Amino acid sequence: MRIEKCYFCSAPVYPGHGMMFVRNDCKSFRFCRSKCHRNFKKKRNPRKTRWTKAFRKSAGKELTLDNALEFEKRRNIPVKYNRELWSKTMVAMKKVEVIKTKRQARFIINRLKKGKELEKAADISEVKKNIHLIKAPHAGQAKQLEDKMVQKLAEDVHMDE
Amino acid sequence: MALYNFKKIMVVPTAKDFIDLTLSKTQRKTPTVVHKHYQIHRIRHFYMRKVKFTQQNYHDRLSQILTDFPKLDDIHPFYADLMNVLYDKDHYKLALGQINIAKNLIDNVAKDYVRLMKYGDSLYRCKQLKRAALGRMCTILKRQKQSLEYLEQVRQHLSRLPTIDPNTRTLLLCGYPNVGKSSFINKVTRADVEVQPYAFTTKSLFVGHMDYKYLRWQVVDTPGILDHPLEERNTIEMQAITALAHLRSAVLYVMDVSEQCGHTLSQQLELFNNIRPLFANKPLIVMANKCDVRKISELSEENQKVFADLTAEGVTVIETSALTDEGVMQVKTEACDRLLTHRVDTKMKSKKVHDVLNRLHLAVPAKRDQKERPPFIPEGALIRRKAMETDTPKRKLERDLEVELGEDYTLDLQKYWDLMNPEEKEDKIPEIWEGHNIADYVDPEIMKRLEELEQEEELREKAGEYDSEEESEDEEMKEIRQLASQIREKRKLKILASKEKDKQGPRIPRTAKKVWRERLWRRRWVIWVWT
Repeated sequence: MRIEKCYFCSAPVYPGHGMMFVRNDCKSFRFCRSKCHRNFKKKRNPRKTRWTKAFRKSAGKELTLDNALEFEKRRNIPVKYNRELWSKTMVAMKKVEVIKTKRQARFIINRLKKGKELEKAADISEVKKNIHLIKAPHAGQAKQLEDKMVQKLAEDVHMDE
Repeated sequence: MALYNFKKIMVVPTAKDFIDLTLSKTQRKTPTVVHKHYQIHRIRHFYMRKVKFTQQNYHDRLSQILTDFPKLDDIHPFYADLMNVLYDKDHYKLALGQINIAKNLIDNVAKDYVRLMKYGDSLYRCKQLKRAALGRMCTILKRQKQSLEYLEQVRQHLSRLPTIDPNTRTLLLCGYPNVGKSSFINKVTRADVEVQPYAFTTKSLFVGHMDYKYLRWQVVDTPGILDHPLEERNTIEMQAITALAHLRSAVLYVMDVSEQCGHTLSQQLELFNNIRPLFANKPLIVMANKCDVRKISELSEENQKVFADLTAEGVTVIETSALTDEGVMQVKTEACDRLLTHRVDTKMKSKKVHDVLNRLHLAVPAKRDQKERPPFIPEGALIRRKAMETDTPKRKLERDLEVELGEDYTLDLQKYWDLMNPEEKEDKIPEIWEGHNIADYVDPEIMKRLEELEQEEELREKAGEYDSEEESEDEEMKEIRQLASQIREKRKLKILASKEKDKQGPRIPRTAKKVWRERLWRRRWVIWVWT
């Protein structure tokens, strides 16, 4: 019993779910649900359909090259059962999973950092350009302006004299 | 002209069908439209074509029948004789002769009417001539109804005859009815001949095939023959006689020792002597069948003398029982060997042998030193052979286990696994964990790799990759953000407000229909009432 991967969206297909299509050249395609199946029949390219994992990986939106991802690999020649090996594998598997998720999350956060900076810059420029929509140019500076004007007048008077 | 393939004869249609077939073919395959005002040569040509077409069809079909049916002179005498017995040579030849005559008559009719048609001067006359021609041809064929029916029956029966090759190695079984010939053939070959307690269960020849010494052998089962002179024999017995007469085979004369067939041993002996001439030049074996019921030694003195006489004359007598398989193998090997030697002898005497003899050479390896080299049989083979003879069950089969447990049985192939630690054979192996296949992770070096990975992870953590980077933003930044959000809100409100301004006043919507002024004027009273 295996959990297969959907050909279109790369989601896990559990036994008893989904559909399999076998082509005349003996290549078989598994689909997790009819959405993927219908998209496949429409000859859509999963690498160009934005919601699929294939697109995300090929467009660099998810972690692709990493050591932690090399642990889960389909082997063509199965290893003979050995209780010790299997129990070690189970332990290792759980640890690897933890590390893998951490790394994947970190990758995404790093990718989104740039967006944060852009946001900051946009805010600053917005404020600079359009502050007049909420604040009058000299609001809250009445006292200051008055003092300045008084000073200026005083100077002028001085000049005249 | 099918020699031994009587199955390829074309179906002979009945007279009525034949006529219908040909006439409808004429109707379909020749042009159908002709008018009075056509030129006369065109009309003539049209009708001549129809007559010739019909004649051609009849001719073709009848010729095919004549060629398909085998000529009794051209096929092997065995088949010729068999067909004579079954279908009566004269009747057969007559039927085919009639067909031939009919063919010629049809040709003549067509020729005459075509000649007459040249002088037809109107559409009506030509049409009548064509009608007459076709009618005559069909009448000729109607008269052949009997012949056609007979030939169809012959064809059907012929296609069902067993394919007996007269030239290959054959064993022929003969004897009184009910002595056990069909049981013997059922035992020795894969044939499935009916075996019943009444006489003349087998009514025709049956063939079975068996293998011996890497060669294919035919075994021919015949209907039983009774003891009367040749002239009084009926069709069924004649088939057996024909087979005896023409097939070069080994003859197995079957006698019933227990006299269950209803005839005494002396009667059987009489028959044997009567058909003795047919056994000339053929290896002969007498089978004393049904020996499970009564053995020769249990017979009376005179009867035993019968068999003693036979053996004294040089005829091999073998006791058999088709029921218990006693002696069946013996008979088989004996008959086959004798027939083979007989055939080889005949071949040696004939002229063809010399071509082959030049090419035959038995090579024997020359001795290169005086060392003895006996055949070597490994010990394991000897032990196994001994084990086979004692016939003890080696180990408990799955089937035995299944039968024992009945409903609780489940096929458990894990117990046959070849593992390093056999105690682990009954483990339940986990396959899936949280959406991952465990088999994908299994690797003898997984612990090493895991260690490396963990070290790497530590290094990364130390380098500060995983630090949460919540920059504490200074006051200024926070204020700027707040102002920016306010600005954005204000802008949106302004946009909405400007959208709500009604710059152009009330406007008729697009979906409203145009109304003619006239109509409005005419309806002013109605509008006045409703408003």
